[in-house]
Parts: sequence; C-alpha cells; structure tokens
Amino acid sequence: MSDPNPHTLAEKPHMNPYWAGLGLGLVLLGSFVVMGRGLGASGAFTTAVATAVHTVAPAHAEGNAFYAEYLGDGSVSPLKDWLVFEVLGLFLGGFLSGALANRLKFTIEKGPRIGNPLRLLMAAFGGALMGIGAKLALGCTSGQALTGGSTLNLGSWAFMCCVFGGAYALAWFVRRAWL
Amino acid sequence: MTEYTVFRDNPGIDPALHAWGWEIPIYLFLGGLVAGLMIIAGVRIVASRPRERQAMVCCTIGPLVGLALLSLGMLALFLDLSHKIQVWRLYLTFQPSSPMSWGSWILLLVYPALLANALVHLPETAPALARRVPLLVTISDFLLARSRIVAGIGLANIILGVSLGIYTGILLGSLGARPLWSSAVLGPLFLFSGLSTAATLLHAILIMGMRDEERPAFADFLISSLSRLTEARAPDASIKPALTIADNSFLTIELGLLGLLLLGHLSSTEAHQQAAALLTVGPWAAPFWVFVIILGILVPLFLQTLELRNLIRHTLAPSLLVLLGGLALRFILVGAGQASHWSVLVSN
Amino acid sequence: MMAPFYKFGLFSEEMSLVVAFVTGIGFGFFLERAGFGNARMLAAQFYFRDLRVLKVMFTAIITAMVGLFMLSRLGYVDLSLVYLTPTFLVPQIVGGLILGVGFIIGGYCPGTSCVSAATGRLDGMVYLAGMIGGLVGFAELYPLIEKFTKITALGKVTLPQFTGIPYGVLVFAVVLMALCAFMAAEWAEQKFGGKAPGKGALLEPVLKLTPVRGFALALLGLSFIAAFAGSPYRGHAASIDTRELALSAGTKADHVSCTELADWLIEGRNDFLLVDVRDAKDFAEYHIPGAMNVPLATLSADFAARNEKVVFYSDGGIHSAQAWLLLKALGFKSSYMLFGGLEEWKDTVLFPKTPAANAPTKEQVDFARRAAVAKHFGGTPMEAMPAAAVSTPSAQPKPVPALTPVPAPVVPAPAPANAPAAAPKKRKEGC
Repeated sequence: MSDPNPHTLAEKPHMNPYWAGLGLGLVLLGSFVVMGRGLGASGAFTTAVATAVHTVAPAHAEGNAFYAEYLGDGSVSPLKDWLVFEVLGLFLGGFLSGALANRLKFTIEKGPRIGNPLRLLMAAFGGALMGIGAKLALGCTSGQALTGGSTLNLGSWAFMCCVFGGAYALAWFVRRAWL
Repeated sequence: MTEYTVFRDNPGIDPALHAWGWEIPIYLFLGGLVAGLMIIAGVRIVASRPRERQAMVCCTIGPLVGLALLSLGMLALFLDLSHKIQVWRLYLTFQPSSPMSWGSWILLLVYPALLANALVHLPETAPALARRVPLLVTISDFLLARSRIVAGIGLANIILGVSLGIYTGILLGSLGARPLWSSAVLGPLFLFSGLSTAATLLHAILIMGMRDEERPAFADFLISSLSRLTEARAPDASIKPALTIADNSFLTIELGLLGLLLLGHLSSTEAHQQAAALLTVGPWAAPFWVFVIILGILVPLFLQTLELRNLIRHTLAPSLLVLLGGLALRFILVGAGQASHWSVLVSN
Repeated sequence: MMAPFYKFGLFSEEMSLVVAFVTGIGFGFFLERAGFGNARMLAAQFYFRDLRVLKVMFTAIITAMVGLFMLSRLGYVDLSLVYLTPTFLVPQIVGGLILGVGFIIGGYCPGTSCVSAATGRLDGMVYLAGMIGGLVGFAELYPLIEKFTKITALGKVTLPQFTGIPYGVLVFAVVLMALCAFMAAEWAEQKFGGKAPGKGALLEPVLKLTPVRGFALALLGLSFIAAFAGSPYRGHAASIDTRELALSAGTKADHVSCTELADWLIEGRNDFLLVDVRDAKDFAEYHIPGAMNVPLATLSADFAARNEKVVFYSDGGIHSAQAWLLLKALGFKSSYMLFGGLEEWKDTVLFPKTPAANAPTKEQVDFARRAAVAKHFGGTPMEAMPAAAVSTPSAQPKPVPALTPVPAPVVPAPAPANAPAAAPKKRKEGC
C-alpha cells in the first residue's frame, strides 16, 4: 500500500462524470433542504471586493449603489456572509479532493500550441469578462445554471442557453489555446 | 430568593479597558510559538547526542527563528502599551501575585536562554557567518565540550518554554472581569496550541530546507526564492515523521483541551454559559468552528495522518493551516473574551 | 420536521455560516473529482472532445430538481421558501453571452477557477485575479449601466409559471432531454474525439443494466411519477380553513410586542420585513426605522416572497390586523402584527415613563434598560435618569421633546440619522 517515495505518487483518474454529477446534485439538494438556497461562487468575490474597497475608500464604496448592496447595514462584517464561507469551503473541498487524488501541482493548464504568457493573459481577460457577465446575469454557472436550473428558474434557463451559445460561438476562434 | 442585575460602575466587574486590537493576539500567538520552539529544542538537547543534533532543524534554525519571532511579539506588545516610556519600571520589582510581573521577568530570561541555545550549534547553522566570526566557533566548541552546561541550557529552555506557554494563557485568565477567560484550562490550551504551531513551523522549515529534488513538488513553487536561507547543510529529513507525529499529538491534545474549556464553561454559572455560547453558537461561532476547529485542527490532522502513511503527496498545506488555526484561536479567544461579561442583560 | 431547516429557524444565521462552509467543501470536492480544476478538460466541452461539463452539470441539475420536487410533493420541503433569483431577462441574456465568451477564453467559470487555484493551477489563480478586476470595473461602471441592469424585470418567476406547463411535466421533460443529451454527447465524443463509450457510459457496449443505466432509469421513473404528481407547492389548491384561521386569530401567537420588535431592530436582525400599512403621507411623517411602506389598499400576494417573515403595523391595531388576515388567507405562513401598533410603540419604546422613586428595584432596572432603548430610536424617556444614560451621541434627535406631563409626546421627525435606511437592506442571497 505505502509507496516508498511519496513525491511521485501517481495521479488518480477523474471520477465518472455521472457519479460526480450525482454527488454535486446531492450537495445542491442538501443545500436546498437545509438552507433553502442553492450554491454560488461569484457573489463571494463581489463581497470581498466591496469590503476591500470599503476599507480603502469608505465614502466611495458607500456612494456606489453596487458596492452598497453587498456591504449590508454595517451591523455585522459583510464578510460574515453565506457565500463567503461557502467559497472558503469550496477552496478546501477542491484542495482535499486534489490531495487525495494526488493532483496537487503547480502548473498551467493549456493546449500544446500556446505559450505560458499568452495563456495567462487569456485567463486574466476571460476572468474579467466572467466578472462582468456574472454581475449582469445576477450569478455565475453555480448560482444561476446549477441552482436556478434545478429550481426551473426562467432567467437561469435563458442564461444557461446563452452561456453555452456564447462559448460555442467563439470556440473555433480560440482553438489554438486548447487543442 | 431573587437576584437582580443592577447598573453599577465597579471597575472590578465592569472593566473599562480599552479594547485590545491586533497586537495582543499576535503577541500571544508568537509567544506560544516561541515557547513551543524552546520546549522542542530543549527536549532534543537533553535527549540527543551533539552529532545527531547538528542536522536537526529544531536545534539549529529553530532557536534563531525563535529569537526573531520573540522580538516581533515583544514589538507588538510594546505597541499596545499606553505608557511606553515606563516599561523599565516593571523590572524594578517582583510581585509574586501579578501575572504581568511574572510575564515580564519570564520574557527577560527567555532571551538569554534562547540565545545560548542558538549558540550551541550556530557554526553548523550558519557556516558562512562562523567563518567570518571565529568567536562563534570557539563558543560553540566551549559549550559542546561541557555537556553539563549544554544540558543546563536544554533544561532552562524546557522550563522557561513551559512557563512562557502557560503564561500566555494565564495572562488572560487573570482578568477576572471576563468570564470566558476565567478558566484554568486556558494555560495548558495555549501551551499545546503553541507546541503544535512550533512543531509545524519546524516541519515547514525542514521541507523548505530540503534539497530541490527531494522537496515535494507542491512546496517547490512557494519557496524557491526562500531556499537560499538554508544553503548551509540540508536538514536531516529523517526527523520529519517525528515532527508530524508530535504535531498530531499536540493537535489532538489541543482539541481535547478546547472541549474541556467549553464543557467547563457550559456546566458553570449562567455568565460562563453565555460566554461559551459566544463561541459555540453566538457571534463568534462561524470563525471558531471554521478557522479554529475545522481548518486549524481537523483538516491538518487528517492530511498529516495520510501523509504519514504515504498515501498522499507531502505539502506545506497542513503546516500553513496549523499556523493559521493557532493565530485564529488567539484572535477569537481575545475577541470573544472581551465580549463576554458577568452582568448579562437578561433579555425577555 | 419541516425543511428548509434554516427558514424554519432550526439554527441561527451564525451557524448557517458553518453550514455554508461544509456545503462548500462538498461542492468543491465534487467539482475537483469531476476534473473541473483543469481548464483543458472544461474547454474540451466546446470542441466535442469530452463533454464532461454537460454530463456533470445536467446530472447535478436533474438530481437536485427531481429530489427537490419529490421532497416538496411529499410535504417535507416548503418549495415556496426556497430562494429564487429574480429574472431580468435581457441583462441575463447579455450577461450569459459575455460569460460564455469569458468561459472559452479563460477556461474556467468562477466556481471551477477556485478549485483549480486550490490545486495549484497558476492559470486558475490568474483567472481569479482577472475576475476581481472585472468586478471592480463593473462596480465603477455601475452608475452608467444601472438602468440597463434593471430592464425586463419579471420578478421571481419559474418556467412552470411562465409557460403554464405543470411543474411535474416540466421536470419529466427536462430529465428526458438531459438523458437524450447525454447519449448524444457520448456519440459526439466518439465521432469528434475518437473516444468510444467505455465503462460507466450510458452507451457502454454491453447488454446489461450497469449502475449508470440504473441511475438514469431511476431518475426517469421518478420524473415520470412527478409528471402526474400534481403541484409541489404546499396548500396551492387548498381552500382557506376559516376555522383554523379563526383559532389562530384568537391566540396571541401572531403578535409581536413593541419591546420585542425594538430588540430585534437593535440586534440588527434582518430575517423579517417590517411593513407599515398606513398611507405614504403618514409614513413620510414618521415610521419605525427599517420599515417599508405598503399601504393596505395596495397589499397583494406578490408584495413579498412567501418565504419572508412579515411584521405589520399601523396606527392602532385594526389595519395591521386586516393586513395580517389578508396574508394569512393568501397562504403566508409567517405573518405577524405589532401589538398595539404605533401608539403602543410610542408609549413603551420611544417615551417610556419613569417609575415612581419608591418603586421596587426590578422596575427601576427595567426602566433603565428601556430608557437606553428609547435613546437608540431617537425617543426620550419621560424623565431621564443620569445613571442610565447611554452615550449615543449621533443618535440624539434634534428636537428633544419637552418634559410634558403624560400623553401626546412629540414624535421625533424624521427618523434619526443613524437608523437603517427605509427599505431594510437584505443582503443579496443569490450568486
């Protein structure tokens, strides 16, 4: 069982997508039953950004309707938020799963035909677009597609179609990055 | 018989302290960490032969790191004092009943003990420095030739380390006005938390000091820039499991002591119960459970156990989590303690 | 026991954060298990090489959807209490397109980038940094595009409501669609990615009921039952039980006393809506801090989600009682009224009377506390006791009512500066 050299333990293969989906679905269902709400991700970062801006420039943050919405009434720290703690758990859960499957590695995921700097630039640009899109749509793939999808939310289904539409439409143009 | 809570202004019961900011928790954290480093180094000095010690992080780099961290902690404590110029007055007297007086004297003794500890193996730790200052080699040889003195240094480190570790808890416990802190468990709790953070810090230093090819891949990135610090002699990687096992035991004891603290409070007066409820279900519950219990104790225990069995790759993560948990424990106990109160307004 | 547990008060808001953390661990664990910490794996979806994203996402969606429907239909979960993000159709379509473009360029979505960063992927970390930049940019541009983000507001609306198709039938349709999509995906993987359906695939070339097929059949069967099971909402079709209503009206269970409400407000609790049912003019003159104005005449079922706890008040008690009855009849389970209305609020909270000098200690102590509460809300005790003075400098109202004999105290107008804004700031619940 025990490997003499623990640094070269082999990566384990990924889980069958259907079983992973079942696990994810049960977590989501558990969240509905226990909390009456679904999962999310981008909201936590918005709260963090709003809190950071509020710390640096309080007047600016309070004057901005967007930040103000995430700051609450000031009676408790805005970071004491459901999504913030959920995303903390998200990092830990991802790390634990990666550790157990020996997938922890400092590396850059990309296709063979693209260099590291360009890939990182694309990651940053894609991330920025994602931030803007998620705020326009009131949620990201977790908060809208997963959660709204399973509660048959009208806006979420419209959103989901557009995410796949947008990604497929552009996929051909950025194929060098991935294939 | 009926009891009423009346409004009063009694500084013994309703303290008018200024709120403690970040300085005190940082000081308590670093104090506990240094105490742990001293104890581990002391035990190694007493128990191991000089040759074995030469490559042990706890006896070479440990005391030096301890000196640096203690100075940082003292700086934090100093920043918190209102009358900074009057510090010297603490050393004009010794009050056996005052924890503050004990503390200042312990701190005064900790420095020379740590320094002596560091000097024993300084030539091995920093060969470049020793070449330039031959006096260091002379001192080291002088000490190593007299095993009784070395054993004395080890014993002094153990005793002072235990005192310092317990003292960081007693310091809070002596403030009778805060029910959360009025528990004898606080001293041992901080001692064992300090020991676990110290063991994990040494473990982290060990990983960082290993030769590149032996070092776990996941740690490599974080520390490539820091690795020059320990160019001298690669520390002995064989004591890594010992440190991890020690850390796991310390964490388990810490968990038990935390349970004792809460159980003790929950079976005590209503003020104590409400103080404990601040941590278990009240306004400090989320950070307490998440950062102290789960992230600071349970997850590192789990990861280190798997690492010991070589089931997963070794990383710096458990070490970082234990350090984070130790820091969070101080911040939360200091914060929640200040929110706990004897005269609890009975809400209808 | 009724679910959602949190909405039925099984644990506090503080403990909900611990629940959030544990939920997040599960979320992250399965995202990583599925391979979503790897951008190439995610991007392969859009070149038909490996359609993991579709399979995992839709398996999760249909599992949770069928489970939620069944639990609601069986009466364990009150579906109307499960949070729905309101729909803003056009902004969501535009946002979805931008997000899709960001997905294929960056390789992640927010949730998966967290997992990839946690497992050491540098591109995931850079992606997160980029996202934070995008959020700051959005916030700074927000004043310019605020109007756009609010257009085509349809409220909290579900597909069954929008299309008129029964909930259960849609559940069945979605499951059927998803299963067909899975088989199409496996076919596409073979055609474009050269990956034949292997072990654990729906189209695995063996003639037996593999676990995956069993799971798919179970979902299909359950959703087929759902199609004929009727509405998952509780009491949707039930008529009003007037007897029960009369019984509950006779008890004090639905009352909130003024002191209780004052405590809630001071604690900063935001789990309830405080609703002023007087007309707008009276509301503008004075209202309890944090209240929102819904005149009785405009009260209807959609003024608040059914999952809100609502506290009504009016001048006396009559209008709030009417509003309470109205909402009870509409099926709102947790609606309350402020006992005694604003008049009682003024008497007990804003302007408490000083007890006689020889009153027992308990009364004195009680008063000291109430005096502090009164100061908080900008009122004043009828005779302030110096020992009880709580220093809230910013809360001092400008016109301190004179120590008039007993009744008709001047109402401090307008609401004190430090009071919460008119509409209670509920923290965002969505993603």
